[in-house]
Amino acid sequence: MHGYGGSVLTADLSTGESRREDSAPYTGDWIGGRMLAARLAWERIPPGAGPWDPENTLIVTAGPLAGTLSPSSGRTVLSGISPVPHPFPWYTHSTLGGWFAGALKFAGLDALLIRGRAPVLSVLEIRDGEARVRPCPELAGLDTVEVQEGLKTALGPDAQVLCAGPAGENRVLSATVQHDFECAAGHSGFGAVFGAKNLKAVVVLGRGGVSVARPGDLLTAWRSLGPYRMNPEHKFLAYERSRDRPGPEAARPVCSQACVNDCRIAHRDRTRAGGTVGIFCLAPVFEGEGIPAEYARPNPRGIAVPSLANLPPGERSALVEDMNRLGLDYWVRVTVHAFLGAAEASGVRDLAGVALPRDLSGSMGDILTDLAHRRGLGGLFSDGLAVFLDRHGDALPASLEALGRELVFDFGFQAHREGRFWDREPLPYWIFSAMLYATEARDPTIGTHSLMHLAEIQLARGPEALAKFRVLSERLWGRPNVLEPDFDFEAKARGALWARRARMVIDSLPLCDFAFPRLLKSFDALEGWSSETNVLGDLDLDLRLLEAVTGVSRSREDLDRAADRASALERLMILRYGRNRALERSLASHFELPCRDDGTALEPGDWERLMDAWLSACRYDLETGAPTPELLAELGIGG
Amino acid sequence: MKRLRTDPGLCRSCQACALACSLVRENGRSSLAEARIRVEKPVADLRPVLVVCRHCARPACALVCPTRAMARGDDGLVRVREDLCTDCGACARACPFGAVVSIPRRRVRQKCDLCEGRPEGPACVEVCPVGAVLWS
Repeated sequence: MHGYGGSVLTADLSTGESRREDSAPYTGDWIGGRMLAARLAWERIPPGAGPWDPENTLIVTAGPLAGTLSPSSGRTVLSGISPVPHPFPWYTHSTLGGWFAGALKFAGLDALLIRGRAPVLSVLEIRDGEARVRPCPELAGLDTVEVQEGLKTALGPDAQVLCAGPAGENRVLSATVQHDFECAAGHSGFGAVFGAKNLKAVVVLGRGGVSVARPGDLLTAWRSLGPYRMNPEHKFLAYERSRDRPGPEAARPVCSQACVNDCRIAHRDRTRAGGTVGIFCLAPVFEGEGIPAEYARPNPRGIAVPSLANLPPGERSALVEDMNRLGLDYWVRVTVHAFLGAAEASGVRDLAGVALPRDLSGSMGDILTDLAHRRGLGGLFSDGLAVFLDRHGDALPASLEALGRELVFDFGFQAHREGRFWDREPLPYWIFSAMLYATEARDPTIGTHSLMHLAEIQLARGPEALAKFRVLSERLWGRPNVLEPDFDFEAKARGALWARRARMVIDSLPLCDFAFPRLLKSFDALEGWSSETNVLGDLDLDLRLLEAVTGVSRSREDLDRAADRASALERLMILRYGRNRALERSLASHFELPCRDDGTALEPGDWERLMDAWLSACRYDLETGAPTPELLAELGIGG
Repeated sequence: MKRLRTDPGLCRSCQACALACSLVRENGRSSLAEARIRVEKPVADLRPVLVVCRHCARPACALVCPTRAMARGDDGLVRVREDLCTDCGACARACPFGAVVSIPRRRVRQKCDLCEGRPEGPACVEVCPVGAVLWS
């Protein structure tokens, strides 16, 4: 079948046995990536399985575009029961860039299911679709770069590796599954699940290929990409052409196979050993330009966002390298550093009897290393900030505990894109986030990064942006006020639903969530932006890529329906682990804090109105928050 | 003769060149193993290794080929005649650059032919977003 590897491989680490089956019965309605994972998880993970149980099945999926020229399609999706959700675990997913998904497809696989627990630390080795569990106690304690370099030396440079670092081996909740230097499945703690399974690495060698149905159309779609440029005031994605930019920034690194973009969030940096590596997103954002100075002012609950930009020279690069090698999610540094900074500012001298260092910023590397090894001050946070607060919150100043709770307000996931901490999200964008936070399995990215980009442009261009966004809203959602900064929750629910669907599709094809969907046209300069009334971009590029690769013609409605189907299944899975509308009410408090950018907030009672509007748009039951039987039947998953 | 030139200093290891190569030269098959250009990326270093046929003046691959499937033409292009190739692998072993690939599905060896016959020129050059593969 065009666009697919053709098989699902299940490897049992307990027995060393594996089983291959045809993927076609699954990929038709469930396409690939995150959607395919939801379908397999529903069928293969026993209800009640915990994150550390052998029955928990870690699902690694590629999508139909992976391994092809489709830009940025090298992304991989990991799914399973995550240890991160607080107060109890549930199913969620995490995606990572890189080159692994292509290798999986070249090995003939669309999905890899890993269950069981190896008797000793092991590597799961896949050569052209055949699996072998190989004991590797000698890899214990090695960092993620050492593991990958060792496996590539042994198996060849074309081997692609997913691995856990020391943090994963120690079941630290913020442990990543790492790939290459900087690509990580970070937020869902799947590195710790690797640890629980005694799995150090998955290495895949694929010498086959993927059949592309219409290679000419794929090249045509590729040519239509052009250099992607946006409003020059846009913070993240002011794409420029590499060839036009001389010097050391001539070619910004990419984080995903076949990526053609020249992404401003990508930087070159140096490792301790003198190598040059690509660094993406978080570190440059948090070490300066991303956090407005006014964020340091306390909000009405006395919560201030401590600066994270005061690292000693060179320490940022070292921290990034350390965390990648340890297999730690960089977000844990953001929250723990902010929390410890606030503790220091509150006059706290020790936490749970462990002294705070005199030079906090200069000690972050040691603290994070300790966190990965469950010792010392860092070790207090190895089970997550939420669990630390459960254990020790009573002994903290009230404002410090409040800060901690808000930093991980989303059931233990780190706050972001919600307008109260790190990202700039004025009204109405934080409402989109609130709706998605309320029903998604993990912290959402509001419709990929597209809506976040609009938020930044709104802040930069004010009324001019709003005028253009009214036109965009009318064209995309059939009414002009979805992006209006107001509290019309019914209108906002349309935007949030678009965002949820867009994200599901991007996670399933897969494509980069920064560059897709192309919600805005590409502009060379501000003048082009200013003179254009209709700024809506090419939203159907993903459809053209998908049709070229698979040969199957799908409409936007088809993809939206597939996205709704997978979202409904994800929703059912988290509900059966205990999520419900009553529990989700606990999120309201966070959005009753004023937005850092414009001071807007939910009033008491707004949350229920917001939820009614959002659940109605999703066609979920207003009382339980579950997909209605009618919706499930329509989506073909009833009965 | 125009040749491919590569600049590893510009290359970002996206492998678009290799994916386009196999797509065009293997009739819609996307495969790194079957691509005639290879990009090897170290884990903790951005400096990749780019491997592609250099169309040597005295090509070792052609010299050792027992069936003359591999031969250098008067135009300087080193070509493979698949109908003569026995997949013995002598060419691959002889090539000092590792630029000969195996195509197990057809039991032949292949290498870059500069996309001969393609009006747009080499596909790898067309898709490289940073000009790391040039045709000059």
